Amino acid sequence: MSSPSLPTAKTKRQALGPYGRVGNVIGELDDRLGVAKGGRVFLDKIFPDHWSFMLGEIALYSFVILMATGVFLSLYFVPSTTQVIYHGTYVPLRGQSVSEAYQSTVNISFGVRGGLLIRQMHHWSADIFVGSIVVHMARIFFTGAFRKPRELNWTIGTIMLILAILEGFIGYSLPDDLISGTGLRIGYSIVESIPFVGSYLGTFLWGGQFPGDGSIEGRFYIIHVLIIPLVITGLLAAHLGLLVRQKHTQFKGEGRTETNVVGSPMFPTFMAKTTGFLFMVAGATALLGAFAQINPIWQFGSYDPSKISYAVQPDWYMGWLDGALRIMPSWEFAGWGHTIPLEVFLPAVIFPGLIFNICLIWPALERRFTGDNALHNLLDRPRDRPKRTAAGAAMLALLFTLFGASSTDVLANYFHVSLNFVLWAFRVLTFVVPVLVGFVTYGICREMQGVQGIGKRKRAVIVHRSTEGEYSTVPAAPRPGDTHEELEPEPVPVRIDVSPLAEASPLTSTESSPTGSRQVSR
Amino acid sequence: MSSSRTHARRTFRAKYLLPGGLLGIAALGTLALVFPGAAQASTTKAQNVTASVKACGSVNLKGVSNVHNTGNPFDSTKLVCFDGMLIRYGDSAITYTNPPKSYVAAGKLLFDQTCSSCHGSQANGVSPNGQAAIGPNLQGVGAATVDFWITTGRMPDSDVRAVEAERKPPRLTDTQALQVAAYINSLDPAVPAVPTPNLKGADVAVGADLFSLNCAACHTITGAGDALAFGTNAPSLQDKQVTAQQVAEALRIGPSNMPRFSGNLTDNQVRDVVAYVTEKIQHPANPGGAGLGGVGPVAEGFIALLLGVGGLALICFWIGERS
Amino acid sequence: MSDEEHEPSRTKVPMPVAALSDPHLGDAAKHPSRAEAIIALILVVAIVLMAGFGAAYTQNWDPWIIGGTLGAGMFLLGFGLTAWGKYLMPQGPFVEERHVLASTPEERDSMAAALVERSTVVVKRRKLLGGLFAVGSGIFGIVALFPLLRSLGPLPGTSLDVTDWRKGTLLVDSNGRTVDKGTLVVGGIMTVYPHGLQNTSVGQSVDQTVLIRVQDSDLVTAAGRETWAPAGYVAYSKVCTHLGCPVGLYEQQLELLVCPCHQSMFNVRNGAVPQFGPAPRPLPQLPLYFDGNGTLRAQAGYDQAVGPGFYERTTTKENGT
Repeated sequence: MSSPSLPTAKTKRQALGPYGRVGNVIGELDDRLGVAKGGRVFLDKIFPDHWSFMLGEIALYSFVILMATGVFLSLYFVPSTTQVIYHGTYVPLRGQSVSEAYQSTVNISFGVRGGLLIRQMHHWSADIFVGSIVVHMARIFFTGAFRKPRELNWTIGTIMLILAILEGFIGYSLPDDLISGTGLRIGYSIVESIPFVGSYLGTFLWGGQFPGDGSIEGRFYIIHVLIIPLVITGLLAAHLGLLVRQKHTQFKGEGRTETNVVGSPMFPTFMAKTTGFLFMVAGATALLGAFAQINPIWQFGSYDPSKISYAVQPDWYMGWLDGALRIMPSWEFAGWGHTIPLEVFLPAVIFPGLIFNICLIWPALERRFTGDNALHNLLDRPRDRPKRTAAGAAMLALLFTLFGASSTDVLANYFHVSLNFVLWAFRVLTFVVPVLVGFVTYGICREMQGVQGIGKRKRAVIVHRSTEGEYSTVPAAPRPGDTHEELEPEPVPVRIDVSPLAEASPLTSTESSPTGSRQVSR
Repeated sequence: MSSSRTHARRTFRAKYLLPGGLLGIAALGTLALVFPGAAQASTTKAQNVTASVKACGSVNLKGVSNVHNTGNPFDSTKLVCFDGMLIRYGDSAITYTNPPKSYVAAGKLLFDQTCSSCHGSQANGVSPNGQAAIGPNLQGVGAATVDFWITTGRMPDSDVRAVEAERKPPRLTDTQALQVAAYINSLDPAVPAVPTPNLKGADVAVGADLFSLNCAACHTITGAGDALAFGTNAPSLQDKQVTAQQVAEALRIGPSNMPRFSGNLTDNQVRDVVAYVTEKIQHPANPGGAGLGGVGPVAEGFIALLLGVGGLALICFWIGERS
Repeated sequence: MSDEEHEPSRTKVPMPVAALSDPHLGDAAKHPSRAEAIIALILVVAIVLMAGFGAAYTQNWDPWIIGGTLGAGMFLLGFGLTAWGKYLMPQGPFVEERHVLASTPEERDSMAAALVERSTVVVKRRKLLGGLFAVGSGIFGIVALFPLLRSLGPLPGTSLDVTDWRKGTLLVDSNGRTVDKGTLVVGGIMTVYPHGLQNTSVGQSVDQTVLIRVQDSDLVTAAGRETWAPAGYVAYSKVCTHLGCPVGLYEQQLELLVCPCHQSMFNVRNGAVPQFGPAPRPLPQLPLYFDGNGTLRAQAGYDQAVGPGFYERTTTKENGT
């Protein structure tokens, strides 16, 4: 050791080691947490690139936006049904007796700077959240990604869908306006309709016969801002954790097998794309919140149980239930001193229970019916499983038809037909359309299976005529990019330089990635 | 005309008609005091009120509600009669005016040309051969009714087989409408007369409250209108061609399937509702952006799914790979 | 780990040629500096828009400007980052092996053995004790729900069966005005409440009643109800028997009360019997009379529970429903 001297720039650089400050930081972290080894694996993690794998991210980032905007709203919202006299800026409400919840929401919309924007972003984001979950679930379903070993993830996802729908319903009922208050009245009656326990559950939850003593508002508030978000966050962590552990599925294709994952690396590519996507989802939501008005509660007035508006539908993800309630015939069972309102209980309790339970047990059902208990990491093309695709299409058609049935009055008005006729039409369509869609989808899938070269661009032919007058065809040269290239999947190297014009040399891969990836050779 | 015949006429009037008329008034007034039920019974039986008021003489009117301050001419602060005919009544909130007598002749001409083919030559819903005509009896409907149906373009009707006459560009001008109204009213005078709401001093907040209790159930809370039972409908009030006068008329006459608001809404309340419709329903506060038609979650759901999820899915399509 | 594995490879590895042949990425791969310039431009616009958002907020401009700048700025920021990742970063494709999820059969056996053999060997009388514990936990699970549910609110009792309408109750509108014979003309409708309860929650939700004048003379809606609708004034509960929405939509020529929520249609002339739609029972009718002053009052309360059905709701003898 030389005698201690003042550190110079050179010695400082030498002391830092070959990777500079970053290396030092990693060293310090690793001393305490042991993160370096796992971290390197994490950075090399491969994500398959197909666009449909990003649909779940729409849901994930919508959830983030919901929480961020929700925190803002919770700083101003007052969850109380105590009546106050409105004295704010919106003239048609002045002097009216409104609940504090309603007044605080109008205040957010008119009195808080940026409040209306955040409120609308929150509501649009909720609609997009549920919509993207449904689309994501459809992708999982139609490609068979719910099969072993991912059944648990499917179950967690279905539960998150149920929670998201519930969360949305409770959320838009918080402002206690005329339209959402009507929805709560309907909700109370649905709870009431449950045999044996309905009237008890109703008065328990609402604190008395509807509208109760006002405690429902506070209860809904805490369920909406704390309980359900906590549960969803926990389930989300499990959902993503399972995804990390089991790794993502992928479509069949060049170099892809049941035992590997082919795609782009976590750092920097996937992180850049996904962080960029987060901003894009947030930006799109903010643009919707800026330019498209949603739920203008000041136009509706505060909830009064003796007031009602026509053309009241719930938010779209509850529309299927509203449609089911409208088309149900008036079958109420009344006898032996009791009443079971089947016209409410069947469409509003039994039917959604059936739908969600079918979703939950589907992986087991498919295992039973196909006898397939093998691990699957490669995805099906929907056309390769016509029965499953037809069943899923029929289910979606049923839900969409019921959603249409909730707009009977709007449709009757728009198309100038009798309201009664529209309702009867939907009673018929609810049964006919899913069956029809199922059969047609099955047929299309079988057709597509039989077509050679399906999904690829058609190759042109050049027609030659010989001097004798005979025609002959020669396939034309393929367009660039259409040649079937077996792209060599390569393991992630340590150092990547962007010099695309140089030829790629076969890599000495064994030392470059500790994930033990192998070079795939043809 | 000889002066002796005029003189005889005047003597006749002075000797017999005037005392007779005063006696008749006195008799009826006594009857009304002694038997209040009798007067009420006659109202409820045929909605026909023969009332004598100092300024009006004997006036025969259909359709009067005897509730205070609800478009009741004989309880109004602005009653004006002339020659036994009701000219104007009302209060500071709404003034009801009958079209002038000079309009009757022109109105009869227009009626014969435009309306008699469906409503009968006597406007009584009877066609010349004695059968029931296509259109109903118009005698005793009042000037406001005729004015409403014509100025909204619903009459003359273009499709008699439709369930309800729809609003369309009016065939007759406003003055012509009043002329026809004057003629119809001359056949069997009735109330309400044509209302002119005085929107200055209206309380839009009261109007909003009343609108949500009485009107939103058919017209929706944003006034967008919607389809009702069996092919009927409640029209949109957001249409800026709906005038304050038409709204007041509709409330007081109850056209087609719309209920008639008489004693349950005072003139002040009607005026407040009219102000709310013309100010807030027709010029809604949409600070949040595009109003999306005011039909609520159906339109919002479409936008969220098509633009929101669909647009973001397109972005996914750009970012990711296609296999 | 040996030192060789720690020794980083200094070899420059060019971006794989895949990007060149990929029709979607080829352009950017050939001219990376042009791609970089475009992305840089996008990010600059994003910065300007974000600054615009800052200005719009502090200056309190219109909401659409505040939202528009924020939204467009965030979107372009994300767009730039994503485009950077897509066009200028290595796409691969790279490969990663999946490690086998399942443990070896030996490991599975040893876990099963631990569970089975330990419980067999160590715990005697496990069936009795285990069973008792299971029962105890089950009972705990059930009774733990008791405070969670029961403490929330009161028992329904008879609250669902009765309203505040009694013999002699005065009918008033939302402003407290009473009703007399001339208040409504034929075809008129209004909402009435028991006197004193018109602005209360229970008056509005449970006692709300529609009053309709159907004709000029007494109306008989059903046998036994001859005096219920004097002078054509008929009163029905406004709470729909389907799901409780207020049945406020009246079509006077069709003489139909339509519920706006799910379009149940009730005929007002024959006791509000549902003619269409999902409502199962007629709207209960309130019997009325005119008192000595000509003011409208209720003869009695409703003859049955108002509103939607529930399990304890008893059937009534009235029209067998």
